Amino acid sequence: MLLAKTLTSSTFKLALIAIGTFGVIVSGIFSYVYLSTSSYVRSRSDRAIMTEYSSLQGAYERSGRDGLIALIQQRVADKNFADNLYLLADPSLATLGGNLRAWPPAVTAPKGWTEFRAGEPNATNRPLLRAMLETFPNGDRLLVARDISDLDGFADQIKTAVISSIALIFAVAGVVTILVTRRTVGRIEQINATSRAIMLSGLDKRIPLRGTHDEWDRVAENLNLMLDRIETLMGEVKQVSDNVAHDLRTPLTRMRGRLEKAYHGERVGEDDQLLIGDTIADLDAVLRIFASLTRIAQIETQARKGAFRTVNLVEIASEVVELYDAAAEPDGTRLSIVGDREVLVTGDRDLIFDAIANLVDNAIKHGRAGGQVVVANENIDGKPVISIADDGPGIPADQYKHVFKRFYRLEHSRYTPGNGLGLSLVAAVARLHGARIEMLDNAPGLKLTLWFSAPTS
Amino acid sequence: MTGGHRRILVVEDDPETAGQLVESLTASGYQVDLAASGNEALSRGVASDYAVITIDRMLPDIDGIAVMRQLRDDGIAAPVLIISALGEVDDRVRGLRAGGDDYLVKPFSFVELLARVEALGRRSDTIVKQTILRVGDLAIDLVSRTASRRGKDIFLLPREFQLLEYLVRNEGRVVSRAMLLQHVWDLHFDPSTNIIDVYVGRVRRKVDGQQAYPLIHTIRGIGYSVRAPG
Repeated sequence: MLLAKTLTSSTFKLALIAIGTFGVIVSGIFSYVYLSTSSYVRSRSDRAIMTEYSSLQGAYERSGRDGLIALIQQRVADKNFADNLYLLADPSLATLGGNLRAWPPAVTAPKGWTEFRAGEPNATNRPLLRAMLETFPNGDRLLVARDISDLDGFADQIKTAVISSIALIFAVAGVVTILVTRRTVGRIEQINATSRAIMLSGLDKRIPLRGTHDEWDRVAENLNLMLDRIETLMGEVKQVSDNVAHDLRTPLTRMRGRLEKAYHGERVGEDDQLLIGDTIADLDAVLRIFASLTRIAQIETQARKGAFRTVNLVEIASEVVELYDAAAEPDGTRLSIVGDREVLVTGDRDLIFDAIANLVDNAIKHGRAGGQVVVANENIDGKPVISIADDGPGIPADQYKHVFKRFYRLEHSRYTPGNGLGLSLVAAVARLHGARIEMLDNAPGLKLTLWFSAPTS
Repeated sequence: MTGGHRRILVVEDDPETAGQLVESLTASGYQVDLAASGNEALSRGVASDYAVITIDRMLPDIDGIAVMRQLRDDGIAAPVLIISALGEVDDRVRGLRAGGDDYLVKPFSFVELLARVEALGRRSDTIVKQTILRVGDLAIDLVSRTASRRGKDIFLLPREFQLLEYLVRNEGRVVSRAMLLQHVWDLHFDPSTNIIDVYVGRVRRKVDGQQAYPLIHTIRGIGYSVRAPG
């Protein structure tokens, strides 16, 4: 299984290509070394033969057949020329002189270079000779040779060395490739196995780490982190769908009950109108929840980033304050705006308005009747900041992180109007704008601050 | 004013919705033609002179916005109300506002639809350039941006004046909360609270407080209307 995967893996194929290329280059280099070494050795021996041949030919031309025979005899006796073999034969190939016993039958060419094996045709270990031939005008034939068996052996040795080196390189590279590929494939296979397990059973599986802190461990770590994030998100989605189910079922149940009662009861004009009016109001509440959810979902796709412009937070906040001042009036709440006159951010005016409106609305609703709501705009260390503070009961610090969840409502606000999506929308708008939300105890009350990033020019 | 100005083309493929649209528009005194597909809309659109054309965004053959563009290319200037089920997500519909046309998100109330159609239809009427608008004893000066009743000045914040101006310009017609948000605040969302009512309440106190008769009337379930008695 693993071996089959190893052999079909792309790493292995790449390694094979690399080995192949490397092998061709190495073979080329080794062949060049082999050829140049053997030709160098051979040319040295050829030069020695040639020198000897020239002096013998000279002797023949100067002093004829007898002079040559004398010279050959003298050479045969000389230890300095022990490597050389000579043979002078008459036209009938009968030996006239030299240290070869008879004219080799394999040699037929009249002159020039030749190679042949000396000795009896069926004897073993016959030495390989390389010879220069000459046929004199009277038909006499001269052969000057050297034993090149050693030379040949040397070339063979080089050849063997070259071939075995190449074979060794291929073998080692092949084994290393398989081992490395196996390791890679093994890690990938672990990741694959975990993926399959997740698809089959659930998000609780994680890729095991080897503790080697190498790139594979890092990949596994990151994938595990991604899985953690997905698991958290899935949990939130489940929480949200539970809440959606609850918040939608309540008005839908009321509507159904009302309609059912009306269906079985008598038609009474005034009652019917009241019932229908209440049902439309409940339906509108349900539709509003849908609208808020799709709006948050749309903001979270980040598609709106394309329409970002530079806007003045103070202008937007002033419009919100002006609009909500009317809402604060009946409770005797004083709504005021303080801080800088120009605080620029890069963003979407409608969405920022919506977010600030939600925060101000919350501050008025959950603040103290006759209290104060202060909207402050500032540039702090080059960062645009807006804060909305009330002096109401505030919320417990341990609830801070929960209030941004969809449909989350604090116990005491369960019966005030609202659908628990306002702060989720604020959080989504903040995320889209790369803004950080900070919640602080305003002692008394709650102070919520949005830290935007400096506007891009 | 010719008869064509009370004539409306409804482009809607769902038979039940189409029936409801035709019924409610007819009840309001409009003469309604129905087209069930984009192609039918194109042939009817060029054949008659309509005051307003309502087009469903998702038609079986051609996209509603493409139908609108084609009608424009054919030289049809009638204002178009696009009806979309996609809502906020439908960015292409958002872009329509620049062209002066309007859009409505499904599901909608028929009073809202009627208010929108009325407002759109008004644009094809002759617009008289006036600097002072009057309703009953209320006079609003569009140049000095001041309002008065029986010659007595009413102190209004700029936004409050804008709101009153929009209501007065639509005298006798119903204006929905969403239309107010859109035209007075240039906002395209539902604040999901009664903030508009609270705001209108404040303007109403200033305009109608201690007067012989009220001018700003609440239209239950939809919005407001400005009209003089009688």
